[in-house]
Amino acid sequence: MNAPNIEYGILGPILIVLAAALIGVLIEAFVSRRYRYILQTGTAFAAVALAFLQLVLIRQTSSKAAVSSMSIDGVTIVLQGSVLIFGFLGLLLIAERGFQSFTAQAAAIPGSNEEQKALVSGLQQTEVFPLTLFAISGAMLFPAANDLLTLFVSLEVLSLPLYLMAGLSQRRRLLSQEAALKYFLLGAFSSAFFLFGSAFIYGQAGSTTFDGIRKSIVESGGSDQFLLVGLALLTVGLLFKVSAAPFHAWTPDVYQGSPTPVTAFMAAVTKVAAFGAAIRIYYFAVGGLVWSWRPILIAISIVTMAIGTVIAIAQKDIKRVLAYSAIAHSGFLLTGIIALSKDGLNATLIYLFTYGFTTIGTFAIVTLVRDSGGEVSDLNRWAGLGKRSPLVAGTFTLFLLGLAGIPLTSGFVGKFAIFTAAYKSGNISVVVAGVLASAIAAFFYIRIIVMMYFSDPVEDGTSVVIPSAMTVATIAICAVATLVMGIYPQPVISAINSLAFFAG
Amino acid sequence: MNLAAIVQDQTSHAEAVLFYLLAPITVLSAVGMLLVKKAVHSALLLAAVMISLAIFYILNEAPFLGIVQIIVYTGAVMMLFLFILMLVGVDSADSLVETIKGQRILGIIAAVGVGGLLIALVSKGNLGHRLFGLEMANGEGNVQGIAKLIFGQYVWPFEVISALLITAALGSMVLAHREPDSDKKDQRALSEERVRQSAQPVAGLPGPGTFARHNAVDIPALLPDGTSSDVSVSDVITARGHLAKPGDFKFLETSDDDREGN
Repeated sequence: MNAPNIEYGILGPILIVLAAALIGVLIEAFVSRRYRYILQTGTAFAAVALAFLQLVLIRQTSSKAAVSSMSIDGVTIVLQGSVLIFGFLGLLLIAERGFQSFTAQAAAIPGSNEEQKALVSGLQQTEVFPLTLFAISGAMLFPAANDLLTLFVSLEVLSLPLYLMAGLSQRRRLLSQEAALKYFLLGAFSSAFFLFGSAFIYGQAGSTTFDGIRKSIVESGGSDQFLLVGLALLTVGLLFKVSAAPFHAWTPDVYQGSPTPVTAFMAAVTKVAAFGAAIRIYYFAVGGLVWSWRPILIAISIVTMAIGTVIAIAQKDIKRVLAYSAIAHSGFLLTGIIALSKDGLNATLIYLFTYGFTTIGTFAIVTLVRDSGGEVSDLNRWAGLGKRSPLVAGTFTLFLLGLAGIPLTSGFVGKFAIFTAAYKSGNISVVVAGVLASAIAAFFYIRIIVMMYFSDPVEDGTSVVIPSAMTVATIAICAVATLVMGIYPQPVISAINSLAFFAG
Repeated sequence: MNLAAIVQDQTSHAEAVLFYLLAPITVLSAVGMLLVKKAVHSALLLAAVMISLAIFYILNEAPFLGIVQIIVYTGAVMMLFLFILMLVGVDSADSLVETIKGQRILGIIAAVGVGGLLIALVSKGNLGHRLFGLEMANGEGNVQGIAKLIFGQYVWPFEVISALLITAALGSMVLAHREPDSDKKDQRALSEERVRQSAQPVAGLPGPGTFARHNAVDIPALLPDGTSSDVSVSDVITARGHLAKPGDFKFLETSDDDREGN
């Protein structure tokens, strides 16, 4: 038996990030505490930048890699590029001066003297950097996986660090720990469904690779129960990850409880990775079963949009509003999968790319509005922000308009592309629901804007902190991306259109 | 030909006997695991499920998987479960109060629904061909076959799992590791400090009645110079005015003869 061939070059971006994560673990083990922060941030940023460079070098690749376990093609390149960019922005927020968002010692009991002492003496844990890098590598593996086993392992590599990072908040730690536990238990539960589904599909197709599954559907005519049962269970696992209804229940709690930089990172990166994997499965592996899965996904998409937008109206916490908005966006993104066309593929990738910037920017602003007890997430206390801090409120308005999909923001470009693709593929119902949901969603985004500008500031100690260069850079990049891709989206659209092809 | 018929057709007699013997045990143990109230019973039933599954694996000509199932799951994982049960307390039982109204009923309905659907679909499932591939998979021996897959076709996911294991190890360190508290004094430092502060008796406070004639709680201890020590008697007794004086027992000293006589 010959040794299997691993294509290190085209797997390079993933391997660089993984290697950096391992270096981060070694730094934790061997380097004195004083130098850890600087070394960890240096390693993380360098790794993400290097990985991106390598990705640019291999951008023309279109082949299977690592014994057909991975598929490095145009779609993968676009998705991995998005993951790296959003990962970089997320890392900038996580590395923000003084670690205001992270607990100094996760093992200390919330509210104990030990916790206080760790905080005051600066015994800050820096393991969050290797964990973030592991999550990034998982997010790069997930949309590239070309085989059910690799897909499952990457799902776990992506999720496990996120479960941990959700519980590391410095303020409101019980809420954070509860969020981490909920995320972990529900995530494990959905992983079981995913695995169960994989077993059924393997049982029918006799292969775990997507090519094998695709071939077996063509041969069997796709009417087989085992394949359908397997696909249904696999769909449950995937829909949990993208937080589509009725598997969305974890989202508001986890978004609210996690440290806000982690929420920003998770909201953007997980969405890209999970939809990336979903695209490869529905477009490539089980595209032949479209008549079986399309009705289900249409129903789920409509329900998800409805739940996301309607419940968001009743929320009083800014992070919960954004969580429900993320659920609604999952519904919009599902329409791109339902379309099952080259247009739908392009539109989904464009939507993911634009949405990531906007959502990271939104959460970055949330980290700035604080009082003496930490971030102020109560919406009522954001009243009058426009009068006190016009610049911050103005940028936040831009992001909210982006999320609402108002013209001249990148959100409009994404939404327009994705609804057009769904319309062209003949799925009118989902387009109508999408437009209606967008209108309802615009209501609560604009309500926040109105609240910031047209109500008087409340004197309750809420203030906007002056952020360090890292957060400023993040917000600036996100704002510019939201605006530029809204006004002049053509280069991004054509770049994605020309890249987005599956390796056959 | 549906799946049930294929399976019946290709199963040997002994295999069928063992299957019908073990299958009810497995299913009942699995259901019981959810229904029993005590965590230890639940863990034992889980062990029963795992062992039966291991036997099924061996029965299906996957001896390596069967043995690994016993070593890893029934051995290591169950051991972890039991450790945690011991940490939490063997007698602790789950609270059966519903926090969401009607959750149990809805849960049972959903479980029966999903289970029924899966059973219905799988039992009617149609493979369209005979079961095959076992000779291929086990051709060079079971372990060799698995090794070929792990280090051949599935080498990439196998390697990627290492990232998962490192994350898990790192995560448990993050959540459980505490920095040693540098301000906290150890036993040696504490005892040295005690000796240096000569105002405090090094060996702790004297108990009531030490070196005195009587060891009742209200009798103060006697110091080497014969005076009584105030710190040897509880403050409560002093406050109540119940404190006895060493002199109260003076008469005993005069009647040494009586005592010897007794």
